[in-house]
Amino acid sequence: MTPVLSLLLRRALGLGAAVLLSSIAVFLVPFVSPGDPVRNLLRARMDLGTADDATVAAYAEQLGLNEPLWKQYLDWLGRFLHGDMGLSYVSGTPVVDRVLPALGVTLLLAGSAILIAVLVSIVLGVISALRAEKLSDRTITSITHALIAIPEYAMAPLAVLLFAVRLAWLPSAGLSSAASLVLPVAVLCLRPISFFTIAVRSGVLETLGSEHVLAARARGLNEARVLLRHVIPHSLLPLSTMTGVWFAGLLGGSVIVEVIFALPGMGRLVYDAIVDSDLPMAQGGVVLVVMCAVLVTTVVDLIHQLSDRSANLEVSGVS
Amino acid sequence: MKHPRLKSLAALTLVALGLSSCAAGGNDAPAVDSEARLVVDNFRAPVSNWALESDDAYVLSISGCLETLTRYDQKAQEVVPMLATEWKQSAEKTWDFTLREGVTFQDGSALDAQSVTDALNHVLKATAPARAVNPKTISAVEALDENTVRVSTPSADPLLPYRMASVNAGVLSPAAYTKDGIDPFGHCTGPFTPVSEQAGQSLTVDRNEDYWGGDVKLAGGEIRFITEGPTRATQVQTGEADISMSIPATSLATLEADPAVELAKADSPRTSTLYLNNSRAPFDNVDVRRAVTKALDVSAIADSVYEGAATGATGPFAPSEPWALADAQVPATDVEAAKKLVESSGFTQDKPLEIIAITERAEFAAVGTIIQERLKQIGIESTVVTKSYGAVEPQLLKGDYDMLLSQRNRMIDIANPIGFLQADYTCEGSYNLSGYCNPEYDKLVSAAAAEKDEKARNDLYRQAGQLLADDAVNVWLVNEQAIDGVRTEVSGYVQDPLTRYVMTKDLAKTK
Repeated sequence: MTPVLSLLLRRALGLGAAVLLSSIAVFLVPFVSPGDPVRNLLRARMDLGTADDATVAAYAEQLGLNEPLWKQYLDWLGRFLHGDMGLSYVSGTPVVDRVLPALGVTLLLAGSAILIAVLVSIVLGVISALRAEKLSDRTITSITHALIAIPEYAMAPLAVLLFAVRLAWLPSAGLSSAASLVLPVAVLCLRPISFFTIAVRSGVLETLGSEHVLAARARGLNEARVLLRHVIPHSLLPLSTMTGVWFAGLLGGSVIVEVIFALPGMGRLVYDAIVDSDLPMAQGGVVLVVMCAVLVTTVVDLIHQLSDRSANLEVSGVS
Repeated sequence: MKHPRLKSLAALTLVALGLSSCAAGGNDAPAVDSEARLVVDNFRAPVSNWALESDDAYVLSISGCLETLTRYDQKAQEVVPMLATEWKQSAEKTWDFTLREGVTFQDGSALDAQSVTDALNHVLKATAPARAVNPKTISAVEALDENTVRVSTPSADPLLPYRMASVNAGVLSPAAYTKDGIDPFGHCTGPFTPVSEQAGQSLTVDRNEDYWGGDVKLAGGEIRFITEGPTRATQVQTGEADISMSIPATSLATLEADPAVELAKADSPRTSTLYLNNSRAPFDNVDVRRAVTKALDVSAIADSVYEGAATGATGPFAPSEPWALADAQVPATDVEAAKKLVESSGFTQDKPLEIIAITERAEFAAVGTIIQERLKQIGIESTVVTKSYGAVEPQLLKGDYDMLLSQRNRMIDIANPIGFLQADYTCEGSYNLSGYCNPEYDKLVSAAAAEKDEKARNDLYRQAGQLLADDAVNVWLVNEQAIDGVRTEVSGYVQDPLTRYVMTKDLAKTK
């Protein structure tokens, strides 16, 4: 079996296990939390509700929530394996109709943030490494280290105040146009930029002193060519891993930014669903995020494997 | 030397951030713009597939789509005609509503007694029924003739016209009731027709050219669902929204200083309350409850924590309500007298009492700390814990708590406090968290529920409220203000503290 096939097989098994575990975990949340899941559902429909016991019982009966927990879970799993995510307990509409658009928003948000972070961090990291210990390096390093410490919930209101209120350049919230994405993406990409820049700087510094770079220089290649062909590609391998991990994290972890900027993304959808005890919605959302995360990390690992093979071939002088 | 590259990079980033900037420009002119569209930031998002028995009905009402048989006029403080022009109590347990003639739904079908009957029966059959309109309050709805709807109640209910003003009693055309749920698009009678929805984001409406109520001034609008208060405040400040509902206290100072925004304020029917568990020690002793009332300076709490978004409460009702307590004053603070009351009551404690502050209202943590400090001064040790309402509700319903900081809407879907007075304070009340039971009070509320004369009914409410205040059942802390931010170019906006009406035919925007 080839390493690639082996990886794909392992990941497929991992995906199954991850879906199973995450869906069980989400399923259990309302039942291990204090409070009554059915009253939570009714409250989502009617503010601070005061539903009487008969209503609570009737609603539970209608949703099948009086069944044993294991049966409720297996019912959901059976439907899910047949491609049916079920109906939301709150709205009664198909879960898939809500989670897919939300996933689209989050993919756009996280994808844009990661793409910008990668591009910016490559530029900053390379400059920083090439000017190591000089003013530009120190400036970049100071800024990136400072940005790591500023969380999104602090940066987002600042960005809104400056760019939406003071300068009136950008919308403060919502998803009415491409401009609406600028602030949330900018806020989301700052911390990845910091981490990625540090990784790129360190990778470039390490590669600059490696044997194959010395060999390239010895062959008389000019510095720009050495940098573009031999240094940067090799320095970016750690970045690809980080990119995958950060992207997967942002898929479900951009809830604060989604709330502040009123974006109907996956983080917010899953958070609300868990608060409301809307199990099918929460499970559908989490499982979809887990699947995307596993997919992304698998692609990253594949890139890694292929890069390693090509690097080995290159070092051994085949190419 | 190396800086130019860095500068370019920084400039590039800024340019990227600033791309697609949309500069806000405004021309002030007094003339109404008949082509204007208005943006309303609503604090509530529809989550129940437009089920009319749910709070989604509020969104449809705010958007100028959904209408009801009657309407509560906040200024006149009375029920006035809407889709029904008149109504009468034809027998002890029946009311007959005469429908307005010539009204058509936006899909062209006529509003008649059968369509109204079907609409109301649909809500009554819901598994989780609405609070104001449910089988406990309405036993049957039938069409008497083409233009008359008869509504029967399980017992005599003089407040039925109020219930018919509840958004949950909204009427849509028969085509709106599909097997997949409610489809309000093109099926309302209101001044605006919903034309598109971005799930979880907004609802877009267009002017209803054939509105029964006359010309509609706006061409249309967009209702945005923005649950974060500060975001709503920012949007009305930047001009992205024309009206932002329910401005949080933390944003008031900023908006008050902005000449382009006006703040509409009214007493909301919500009172933040320190619930005392009357069913167990130490608050089963009226002297201890009175001591807590005397110890707290509710006006100071309103000024400090609520920053002007609330006023000190005078009792269970707001002073502006027609059933407010006579000559009601904010209870005087007297720590010394409170201390003596605690001492004379024989109060002892072997562990601190617990104040539960619900997390749904962020300010309650601060209020709890102030109360804790005041209680300490009169010899009552306490701790403050913050919990979500959902997590603590079963404990509250069982009466297993000492003190609770929560808030309550007195006018639960109808512009009348009867539901609140019954559910919260009668011996058999379904939401009697305080565990209060006083036959004299129950008698007053029963009499009020059956009283046909509005003035006499309000007087009975007043007496019941006075009894609650005299018995110091709870400490009513602050009457919250309903505060909406409105851009100065908006005209014809009438604030509804019950958050039912925003997009009306008279709402307009000047050029």
